[in-house]
Amino acid sequence: MDSLLQQLERFSEVLAVSRTTHVSTWDAATVRRALQWARYLRHVHRRFGRHARIRKALERRLQNQWKQEGGSGPAPALGLTNFQALGHCDLLLSLRLLANRALGDAAFHYLLQELFPGPGVPGAEEGTLQGSLALLARRRAAVHMLRSSAYRENPVLQEDSLMKTQAELLLERLQEVGEAHAEGPGRFLSRLWEHLPHNNFLKVTAAALLLPPSSPRHQEEESELGNPRRAGERGRELLHWLLGKSEVIVAFCRNLPAGLLTSVAGRHPEVSRVYLGLLTDWGRHLHYDLQKGIWIGTESQDVPWEELYGRFQSLCQAPPPLKDEVLTTLKSCKAQDGDFEVPGLSIWTDLLLALESGA
Amino acid sequence: MAQDSVGLSSDYQFWIQKLSVWKQASTLETQQDTCLYLPQFQEFLRQMYEALKEMDSNTVIERFPTIGQLLAKTCRNPFILAYDESQKILIWCLCCLINKDPQNSGESQLNSWTRGLLSCILAAFRSDIKEVDLFTQGLGYAPADYYPGLLKNMVLSLVSELRENHLNGFNTQSRMAPERVRSLSRVCVPLVTLPDFEPLVEALLTYHGQEPQEVLWPEFFGAVNEAFLLKKICLPVSAVLCLWLRHLPSLEKAVLHLFEKLVSSERNCLRRIECFMKDSLLPEAACHPAIFRVVDEMFRYALLETEGAPEVLAAMQVFTRCFVEALEKENQQPKFALKTYFPYASPSLVMVLLQRPKDIPQGLWHRPLKRISEMLKEIVEDETQGSSGGPFENWFLLAHFGGWADIAAEQLLTSVGDAEPPEALLWLLAFSSSPGDGPQQRAQTMVEVKAVLSHLGRLLRSPTLSAGNLLAAAEESREGDPRPPACQQLTRRLLLNFLLWAPGGRAMARDVITLMARTDEIMHEIVGFLDQTLYRWDHLGVDAPGSRKLARELLAELRGQA
Repeated sequence: MDSLLQQLERFSEVLAVSRTTHVSTWDAATVRRALQWARYLRHVHRRFGRHARIRKALERRLQNQWKQEGGSGPAPALGLTNFQALGHCDLLLSLRLLANRALGDAAFHYLLQELFPGPGVPGAEEGTLQGSLALLARRRAAVHMLRSSAYRENPVLQEDSLMKTQAELLLERLQEVGEAHAEGPGRFLSRLWEHLPHNNFLKVTAAALLLPPSSPRHQEEESELGNPRRAGERGRELLHWLLGKSEVIVAFCRNLPAGLLTSVAGRHPEVSRVYLGLLTDWGRHLHYDLQKGIWIGTESQDVPWEELYGRFQSLCQAPPPLKDEVLTTLKSCKAQDGDFEVPGLSIWTDLLLALESGA
Repeated sequence: MAQDSVGLSSDYQFWIQKLSVWKQASTLETQQDTCLYLPQFQEFLRQMYEALKEMDSNTVIERFPTIGQLLAKTCRNPFILAYDESQKILIWCLCCLINKDPQNSGESQLNSWTRGLLSCILAAFRSDIKEVDLFTQGLGYAPADYYPGLLKNMVLSLVSELRENHLNGFNTQSRMAPERVRSLSRVCVPLVTLPDFEPLVEALLTYHGQEPQEVLWPEFFGAVNEAFLLKKICLPVSAVLCLWLRHLPSLEKAVLHLFEKLVSSERNCLRRIECFMKDSLLPEAACHPAIFRVVDEMFRYALLETEGAPEVLAAMQVFTRCFVEALEKENQQPKFALKTYFPYASPSLVMVLLQRPKDIPQGLWHRPLKRISEMLKEIVEDETQGSSGGPFENWFLLAHFGGWADIAAEQLLTSVGDAEPPEALLWLLAFSSSPGDGPQQRAQTMVEVKAVLSHLGRLLRSPTLSAGNLLAAAEESREGDPRPPACQQLTRRLLLNFLLWAPGGRAMARDVITLMARTDEIMHEIVGFLDQTLYRWDHLGVDAPGSRKLARELLAELRGQA
């Protein structure tokens, strides 16, 4: 068992190195050994995939890398990241080596011979690296063709397949990180926030919070390992982090489309509370311009009336209890302001008036 | 070898031109054109690979100076990369260009360029979803990790969009525009054999838009059909049914494919034929009358072309059996009236023919037989009636349910010597073996057959029963003239039945057969008869262990000899 774990770690290092310029020192023999190793570990994956104890041990060892604090750059050193990756570690290694310009000509030539022996390998095509690599190329072409010809971004963002895929991956990774270290997810997410484009990240977060409780695949795996995780727990860490970081939650509520936020708020009451709080806050920043007859802000970052209205309108179209909560909030704000019925005195009055006439 | 290379050179020019026109296959025309040439281009790539692998990289450049262009353009065309094995063969070609030990800067550059192209194929189209790539990298995932999942999500999303159309009716907003559906079917052409795409192919096949004309691209149907016939895709019957209903050439190809298989595989094995038949899904699909009619038409044509070849007849009978089975399985009450399947036949006749002998006690089989015979006789010999088709049509109908004629022959034999053979059965046999006969000729045949039967009956009781006697009895005609071939066939059949059923027959079966089988044709016929008989007995559950054993032994021996 111990030797197996050691091999795992060492191979993970090799995998990490395979993308660096260090491979310039590799010769054909090194490449051969690396590939053999990968094949062996793939075999391990196949053999022990169902064996709960061994699998758990392997997983834990791999999760160690997520324990590392800080770390520069957006991603960790990137050896093997989880047990699943073990299942196609030879593919991962091959792709990295193929793309690595630092690999010498002789070593590269050897690599090609190993990976692409040519025709005349009957039957087991799917199992071979040649088959897997060709399949990957085929799938990539397929995705490209679908995207350029027939695919349209789904207006319901959480159902868009690109968003969904990213969301699923995020939750998967969070789960692994969470198992390694209790505070892992928070740190991990913060690091992502620092390094990735915010817009996409926020959308993916929203989509992840709207994913159905637990995908069938996970349920199957969980029951096999005899370790049932509660559905919905995956999103909890994400939610916890989101609500804990004011910078993020403000950007979340400010930049995402109204409809999407309404869905998230409907599903997660904690979000709806924060969201409503922010909305009321933003509302208070606006004042009434008598001449123009509209509510305007003083600073550039103030949320304009139209947007505020749009968001409230969307929230009012949600099913109860959210809808009721929103109306209650608006009414109580209106009451606090003096419960005026005349427009122009309290923004809450005006909003309610507009919502009623619009609805 | 030199000829090959000349051919290759001219092909090469052709393809380089084509690739230059196609570019990245981003327009409708280039996509359509690329799809039309995908199989041929793959073949060309294969030939190129065979040529390239024999050369080293310098020779390659000498021989094909513009190879770089060819390969680079191919890499940029997603339709080619998506098709079947083209991406693999392309990679092989590129591997041939790599120099293990470059001696000068030129060779190094070639290596570098080739490596770049290889990367391109395996990491192609990165700019497409840059944000997604960045995000997944941040998470620590490689494309190899998430591409299968991504493709699955995209396919599922498209499938649910296509299916939604059914439910939304005239809700224009959520309906998928016809142009998009068409475009989607075009994209699927190179990808029908990719397992991830199966749900999408199925959804497209079963998609019914609001437009009156066909919205899917015809080549799509062709590609799906090809893949289905070669078993490269798994589709449910409902999808295949849609395919064949919407695209007639695909149905015709499927039937021809079946015919080819039947011809090339072991003939004279009805069990095997039944397997092929069921596998092809044609009997099930034929529950829809339009499909039945097309298949029937093709059988009719084949029969006419081969002048009633027994193999075709046998195949048609198996098809009909499987078809009837499928009809019954579908529902208790048939969705379509029988007339839609057999428009030229009298409905009452069809009803009788469709009866299953299995449902009738063996002792009462003579009743439906009599009925069939009488009805046919009335239709065929009454010339004033023009409505139910001529002799051929009715013979063709009967041939579908060939089992009845076989049963008639068996009945005549098993009751030989007891009483006068019923005229109805004689008529039926005579008609089925030569429908073109006029009434007098037929009457003559019936008389001949009667004579043979009575002779056989006498021999049965005679102590001097021998192979020679038996054969003589069968082959001698009353006037001593040779009988017409159809009649000879008939008497052979009667004789074989006799051998299987008569107590004395078993002893001399082998001798008789040896004497009978003067030509390969006849031997073939005998083997066919035995196979058909066993097949029929199995399906009807006929209890005749002795006869069955004999038939099986004979069949095995004769097959072993052939």
